[in-house]
Amino acid sequence: MNTAIALRNEIGKGLRFAWSERLQILIEMPMFAVFVILLGPLLGQGENLASGQVDWSLNSQTTTAMVLWFTPFIFFYMQVVKLFWRLLGEIQAGTLEQVFLSPLPPWLVAAAGRVAAAFLETLFVAAATYGMVSVFVSIHLHWTPAALLPAFAIMIAAIGLSLIIAGATLVYKRIQIVNDGVLMMVMIFSASALPLIHVPGWWAAISHAFPLTDGVGSLYNVMIAHGSVTQAWGVGGLVPLLTVSTAYLLAGIGTFIVGERVAKNRGTLGRY
Amino acid sequence: MSTIAVPIAFQTRLAQTELEKGLRLMWRRRSLVVAATIVYGLTYLGISLFIGGGHLVKELMVRTLPAMLAVLVASTAAVEGTAGISEEINGGTLEQTRLSPARAEVQALGRMTALGIEGLAVAVVVGIVFVLGVGLDITPHPAALIPAALTILDALGYGLIMTALVVRVASIGAISHVGNMAIMAFGGMLVPVSVFPHGLEIFARFIPTTLGVESINTTLAGHGLGATWSDGTLPWLMVHTAVVLIAGFTLYAINIRHAQREGGLSPR
Repeated sequence: MNTAIALRNEIGKGLRFAWSERLQILIEMPMFAVFVILLGPLLGQGENLASGQVDWSLNSQTTTAMVLWFTPFIFFYMQVVKLFWRLLGEIQAGTLEQVFLSPLPPWLVAAAGRVAAAFLETLFVAAATYGMVSVFVSIHLHWTPAALLPAFAIMIAAIGLSLIIAGATLVYKRIQIVNDGVLMMVMIFSASALPLIHVPGWWAAISHAFPLTDGVGSLYNVMIAHGSVTQAWGVGGLVPLLTVSTAYLLAGIGTFIVGERVAKNRGTLGRY
Repeated sequence: MSTIAVPIAFQTRLAQTELEKGLRLMWRRRSLVVAATIVYGLTYLGISLFIGGGHLVKELMVRTLPAMLAVLVASTAAVEGTAGISEEINGGTLEQTRLSPARAEVQALGRMTALGIEGLAVAVVVGIVFVLGVGLDITPHPAALIPAALTILDALGYGLIMTALVVRVASIGAISHVGNMAIMAFGGMLVPVSVFPHGLEIFARFIPTTLGVESINTTLAGHGLGATWSDGTLPWLMVHTAVVLIAGFTLYAINIRHAQREGGLSPR
């Protein structure tokens, strides 16, 4: 009972924070749509670009794949970046120690306080991105309940990555540039799950170690290629999808606990 | 409100102290600077492979690498500038810095110079790695130093505007992210701005560092400063840099004064 109340309070706090940042979210909203529209015609066009020739028309198939690719990334961005800034603010203000008064494990307080807000923010920004891009080119996605499975796995992986960053933040504090860079790499490497460009073998191989790749692959299989979500192996297969997501969650919890112990030992939880 | 006249020598000393503080802080978090350098390098490599369809198009990278280096300086100034000031506000130490009789602009000058050195150091390393590692045919040309210096000032001016905004707007994260993404998308790092549709090309030239990158590319191509002056890029770069720097310093001074009046220098 106490656990449920504490969890509900943290989720409520996260939602109130999100509401107080509504202006920020409005500012961020067009960013993803602009990137999809701009990047679409440029993919794989290096040789043409070098000679100064570009066809700026948008291809429906490519753009659909890009919207599918960007939507889970929006969730990653909302979860990872905002959890980092919130935690850093609490460390700097000296209120982080209070988290340890809660009956819940601190990693759960940190993650639960953000995830519901990140989910709602993503729905809003993804819908806006979909709407803005649809003005320029039609998007064809196969909406099916099967997509909920990769969506859930993506959320788990994002929570894991956000806890890894949060754990590092407890120790190293101002790691925002590394944070931004890691997210950029997560986005770039996850592209290998889509037939947008031909990637080198080494790229395809290491991309499976990134938390978003198989999630995007699974979404592509279900919502564009009309494949089965239960396909076990390959890009977006059920086995790598669940393995990678669970591994990131466990690594996140572990990193957070280690970071928390280091900060406690140094006495830096309540002092910046 | 009365002001205290402070001799120029003291103002200079204060700016120098802020610069030294910034460099010491950078040295303390050197492992993170190295990590950021690696991550930025990999990001550029990934984007280049992306645009090249899975392989590196050297002819294109020769023209986009200067923009990447400008992005590094601009985002270091914006991200570290905003993070530094919000850290001081949350930690309550920004108020202490205002006990000094020196003007806020002088403090900002010291801070931004330190961030400029940090950004430039990262950019030089990434630049050398790509030129030597990928074998890019870029011949350093002395004429490029002038637009390069102006581009760095332009990037620092942008970083200062973002830093100034933090003093007024508590959660600036989103604004600086959008700003950095805009420089990445429209500053010539993905593709040279000359291949954009005409309207987009004009819009892109208002984005910090874009004009500088165009000017650098012209001089690196061996056309000399005369070419970039006569096509209007260099004069507009000078105007853009001056406007951005003046806006940055003015906004910083105004917002610090406002925060002093409203009690916004400590945690909100």
